[in-house]
Amino acid sequence: MKSANAAPCGLPRPPRLPDMEARPELASGEVKHLQRCINDLISLLALPAVWSGGDPSQVLHTLLDALMRMLRLDLVSVRLTDPVGEAAPVEIVRLAELRGPMPSAREICDALPQCLENGSRKWPPLLRNLMGEGDVSIVPLPLGLQGELGVIVVAAQRADFPQQTEALLLSVAANQASIGLQEARLLSHQKRVASELDQRVVQRTAELAAANEELKKELAERKRVEERLDKARLELARVARITSLGVLTASIAHEVNQPLSGIITNASTCLRMLAADPPNVEGARETARRTIRDGNRASDVITRLRALYGKKDPTIESVDLNEATREVLALSLSELQKNRVIPQPELAHDLPPVAGDRIQLQQVILNLLRNASDAMSTVDDRPRELLIRTEPDDNDRVRLSVRDVGIGFETQAADKLFEAFYTTKNGGMGIGLSVSRSIIERHRGRLWAMPNNGPGVTFSFSIPCSLESLTSGRNRDIRTSGVTDAA
Amino acid sequence: MELHWEKRVTERPLVSVVDDDESVRESLPDLLGEFGFASRAFSSAEEFLASDCVDQTRCLILDVAMPGMSGPELQRELKLSRREIPIVFITASREETVRPRLLEQGAVECLFKPFSDTALLEAVNSALHLNPK
Repeated sequence: MKSANAAPCGLPRPPRLPDMEARPELASGEVKHLQRCINDLISLLALPAVWSGGDPSQVLHTLLDALMRMLRLDLVSVRLTDPVGEAAPVEIVRLAELRGPMPSAREICDALPQCLENGSRKWPPLLRNLMGEGDVSIVPLPLGLQGELGVIVVAAQRADFPQQTEALLLSVAANQASIGLQEARLLSHQKRVASELDQRVVQRTAELAAANEELKKELAERKRVEERLDKARLELARVARITSLGVLTASIAHEVNQPLSGIITNASTCLRMLAADPPNVEGARETARRTIRDGNRASDVITRLRALYGKKDPTIESVDLNEATREVLALSLSELQKNRVIPQPELAHDLPPVAGDRIQLQQVILNLLRNASDAMSTVDDRPRELLIRTEPDDNDRVRLSVRDVGIGFETQAADKLFEAFYTTKNGGMGIGLSVSRSIIERHRGRLWAMPNNGPGVTFSFSIPCSLESLTSGRNRDIRTSGVTDAA
Repeated sequence: MELHWEKRVTERPLVSVVDDDESVRESLPDLLGEFGFASRAFSSAEEFLASDCVDQTRCLILDVAMPGMSGPELQRELKLSRREIPIVFITASREETVRPRLLEQGAVECLFKPFSDTALLEAVNSALHLNPK
């Protein structure tokens, strides 16, 4: 690949300059002229470095100054047209010498093309007073490939203008100007686009800020609505509780009357033993002891009932669902027996504790039991069996299911079951299941109903054992108190 | 102890108590003892039926609501097997309709828990009067 005259290092050898001394036929004036021409050429070629980053009028001013300096010109003018025709053309004129008031650059630029068109060797009338009557050579230099950028016009009152070297310099100058102008225009276009972009960014930022503000407002509004909803739910829960209290009075009375009966019987026996002759002190002591024990039992029942129906802040604790279920069963046993329901607890032995509010969970269980019992109130052709099962569930959860053999529900009603005020019972308010579901969801769990293969329905809920999922942020939410059914 | 009990049975009328509530099973026999009756307590109707006391019992103090066989069901069962024992029902329920219905079906009395010792004594005496044996 190396050419014959390539340097050993691989770089091309600089071209050999003509040896001026070896060419005596070249006149020394001509040599100087050529040297000046080369210097001018180098100056013109260096112009883009000066223009870098400048605008079109700066390009033209420096170019016109350079041409006036290099060539003996009497006039140089430029008219730069706007590419989209929006702005007025840029017009600049340089005159070698001024002998009177100068017309405007526009007037000069308008006058020059006429001279070019009719091939006049005279200045246009406008300039004759300033420039004189002598012959003039006027040369146009189109800018751009087809003069679409504009035109430079140069003029000199010399018969030999333009000489060959001058023509060369002019054409190089026009080329350089074209390139410089294109670049300057591109740059200014880019600047304009960038500034438009900046503006749009500013505008969009403002729009986004406004949208953000709007969103914040919406969120605040939504929060307010949710709080109102929570309050309404709480109120509903209380109403439901009061309603169900009437129904539960019987079972409360039952629970309290049992130990009361023991108390009165024991106290009566005690009195009789003391009144005997001789008094049966040992027997009296025993019955008095039993009286106290039964009194405590009654007190326990009241405490349990108060916990279940009283107003109490929910507390998150570790809850043994089996124990909670047994308590609810004990409380509702008489009610179930009255309805001839046979409860069949199947409580898993290895059940891990769950995290939650014990009272709320018990209210859900009670609600499910009573719903199941109510669903079987018209069943007479089969035992009214009520299965209550607890079992460990997947993903560190515990499941509780309540299965009845009752009238069941129609498949299309399955979705509605958990809606507030939906009820299939006479006299039911239809909020038990909806509140139950909200309680279970607040425990990060799920409550659902499935028709059995045989008669009846199985209601189940599944809640996580881990305390962490509840204490991380949801603790407050669970404070919406629950309820039992309003059947 | 067993011998002593047998003796009491022969000398004093046997009053049996059937109730699923433990405090009733504990307290009533002592009171009945103070009244001068022999007594035995059972936690369910089934347990009573399976015992050897059915025929010796001269008065039955019977809880209404129990798991398994209820008080009224036991009453029917006894009637069907022609072993009619005068029954004093006791119940912790407050339902007013219960008492007339039970009396209609032949019960001597229906006492609402908690009841007084005199009310119980009256009821048991009426039962024994019906069933002097």
